[in-house]
Amino acid sequence: MPELRLRGLVKTFGPARALDGAELSLRGGEVHALMGENGAGKSTMIRILAGLDNADAGEVTLNGAPLRLGSPAMAKAAGLRFLHQENHVVPALNVAENMHLARPYPQRFGLVNWTALRQAATDALGRLGASHIDARSEMGSLGAGDQMLVRIAATLLADEVAPWAYIMDEPTAALTGAEAAALFRAIGELKAAGAAILYVSHRMDEVMALADRITVLRDGAHVATRDRAETTRDEIIRDMTGRDMATLFPQRMASSGSPALAVRDLRAAGLGPVSFEMVEGEILGIAGLSGSGREVLLRALIGAVPRAGDLELRGVPLAADPAGAWAQGLAYVPPERRTEGVMPRRALAETVTLPHLSRLANFGFFRQGRATRLVRRLAEDVRLKATGPNQPVAELSGGNQQKVLFARALAGDPALLLLDEPTRGVDVGAKFDIYTLIRDLAAKGAMVIIVSSDLPELIGLSDRIAVLNAGRITETLPAAGLTEAALLTACYKRES
Amino acid sequence: MASFLRHYGSLIGMAAIVLFFWIALPDTFMTLRNWLNISQQLSMLVVVAVTMTVVMVMGDFDLSVGAMASLSGVVAATLFAQGMPVPVALAAALAVGLLGGIANGVLVSLVGILPFVATLATLTMFSGAAFLVSDGKTIFGRDIPQGFSDFARSGLPLGTWGDHPVLLPSLTLLAVAVTFLVWLVLEHTIYGRRLYAIGGNVAAARLAGVKVSHLRLSAFAFTGVGAALAGIMYASRVASANPVQGDGLMLTAIAAVFLGMTVTRDGQPRVLATVAGVVTLGVMDNGLTQLQVDSYVRQVLVGAIILVAVSISALGRRAVRL
Repeated sequence: MPELRLRGLVKTFGPARALDGAELSLRGGEVHALMGENGAGKSTMIRILAGLDNADAGEVTLNGAPLRLGSPAMAKAAGLRFLHQENHVVPALNVAENMHLARPYPQRFGLVNWTALRQAATDALGRLGASHIDARSEMGSLGAGDQMLVRIAATLLADEVAPWAYIMDEPTAALTGAEAAALFRAIGELKAAGAAILYVSHRMDEVMALADRITVLRDGAHVATRDRAETTRDEIIRDMTGRDMATLFPQRMASSGSPALAVRDLRAAGLGPVSFEMVEGEILGIAGLSGSGREVLLRALIGAVPRAGDLELRGVPLAADPAGAWAQGLAYVPPERRTEGVMPRRALAETVTLPHLSRLANFGFFRQGRATRLVRRLAEDVRLKATGPNQPVAELSGGNQQKVLFARALAGDPALLLLDEPTRGVDVGAKFDIYTLIRDLAAKGAMVIIVSSDLPELIGLSDRIAVLNAGRITETLPAAGLTEAALLTACYKRES
Repeated sequence: MASFLRHYGSLIGMAAIVLFFWIALPDTFMTLRNWLNISQQLSMLVVVAVTMTVVMVMGDFDLSVGAMASLSGVVAATLFAQGMPVPVALAAALAVGLLGGIANGVLVSLVGILPFVATLATLTMFSGAAFLVSDGKTIFGRDIPQGFSDFARSGLPLGTWGDHPVLLPSLTLLAVAVTFLVWLVLEHTIYGRRLYAIGGNVAAARLAGVKVSHLRLSAFAFTGVGAALAGIMYASRVASANPVQGDGLMLTAIAAVFLGMTVTRDGQPRVLATVAGVVTLGVMDNGLTQLQVDSYVRQVLVGAIILVAVSISALGRRAVRL
């Protein structure tokens, strides 16, 4: 059985240490789960395996021989294949063609042999137990789960180097339950054929059901590698968090303000009806699996998607478009900061001031001086590490990019702050800064709604947690004393 | 080195071009008269290019500006021929530009057609309309009021050169005024900041409360009016109007904006950089003409210079990223 070993990996990005002695051993014929909190170094390790980043130190060996992984082509030659959360597909081409994108089409007399192309695709899908997918259907007409199966099947086509290891990064993030089940069957087929699967996921249930071994990273370092059969969820969670919760999350304030937000029968695509109320200074957590409508809820509140329902902030109906909502004192930190939040190549001040331009102008003329002073003050408040207001956002680390978005949110002294995955891809230090900011803001009377897949974070920060399931709130739990397992159970509970 | 080239390469290139003609044409190139002449020749192009910059900061562009300039010229001239007072005819021509620009804006922002396709289609329509309005003929001579064509010949007296008064041409002044206005709007109003935000990240702009479709629509309207104004200036300068006389403006204007983008620090379209681009192209044209370079060779050279500038900028940017 082939074995890939990573030892003593170190990788720094500027001042941040993403990896600090990480280790992993991946053997053929096993499903190996890689776990850790956000920022623990999982993605960096995968990027190194994929040849997208070079480690500063450490060794990588394949069957005992040193392995060089400087480029995606080298990773491919080593038999590694990567399946990321996003599907890289061409929606307008059919399944068989998508499977052949990176390899030569079968030909006859210099022309494409369509029959052979289709047959190869159909065979590969069959070997994966995915015969329900027609090789002739258009890729764009398939669901996310079937698209993923197609991409896995593509790796089974004849190639110069046969793959032996699959690295799957949160593969079920966008899948429904049935699609995930089909993926697990495919993983079973691969494993039975002797392949190794490195399975990166936050989802404890999936990991406990699938994995043979589990490696936990924390702050870029290796904590433990355990056999699934001999460990427990609690042990894994202890490995992942490591620290006392109280040190990571600032002191909780008692919130006993007056009711200030009323949401009645809110509906949007994939959401609702949802009703809830909040009091001044309250932090409401939203838990739910992906597809539960948690992302839509925040977009509906900020007015970025069409919605229906009665929404009132301090007795005033909420504007139904982002411009009006920001003006009313809402602020939104979107889940995808690079594509939806910042302007990567522009000065960070431009991102910070964008929603507040009207207040930074006299008769339509932008007041540069006032804007610069505001940005400087906010940068200090959020402890931003940047050379100045004119530094392009793309030059900042993930945590500092997130702080730019927090500075933007704080600029309007928000009454209601909407946070979607506020610490995704953020290192532990910046995380703590962000938690403190959220708590301080709530202490001043602002309301905060947090959507997060990071359950310890949700429990540690929130006063109450509403559980979303299939677009509806199924339960609202007080966060104090709530365990991660209890919350996860609530997320999985189906409405009766 | 790469970053030095990226930041200053184009500026040095522009200076080198001026220096080259100065040396090659010692008596005629670096003279006030020649530069005033160049400024007048370029005034229409400046107006089209700086108003084109307004849509290009959002990452869009407008292919219909040349056809619109032709159309507005023949609309004004046709109304002159029918005896309309000059102000009314000019207002009507500008209104045509506004409507055409709004049409482009609606297609791009509300209907959601790619700017390339939408403005290519309206280019064809505006061009056809120009032929319809003018009946395919050039309108000239007595049909063009004296006062209108005199405008292009008038100017601000700067002094005298022998017996001839030296004038700063009115067309140049108009182009400077338009440049100043667009510069003010793009660089110093929140309207302009929002247009740049759309170019920076349209999804982020939308979530941050920027009304993207309204702004895109209005920006195209702005560009349409600019094109119409340039068409009127053209008609005034040649004291006539025909249905194709503005057509050449479109490609040169887009080229000038791209050339300007090679000068700016962050590679974005900026009004003053666009003007630098226009001047570079104009100086080349003027100098090569004076050197009696064949006009076809001139075209090849101008195209090559654009390619060189944009290539250096693109390579420099890639080098910086590595």
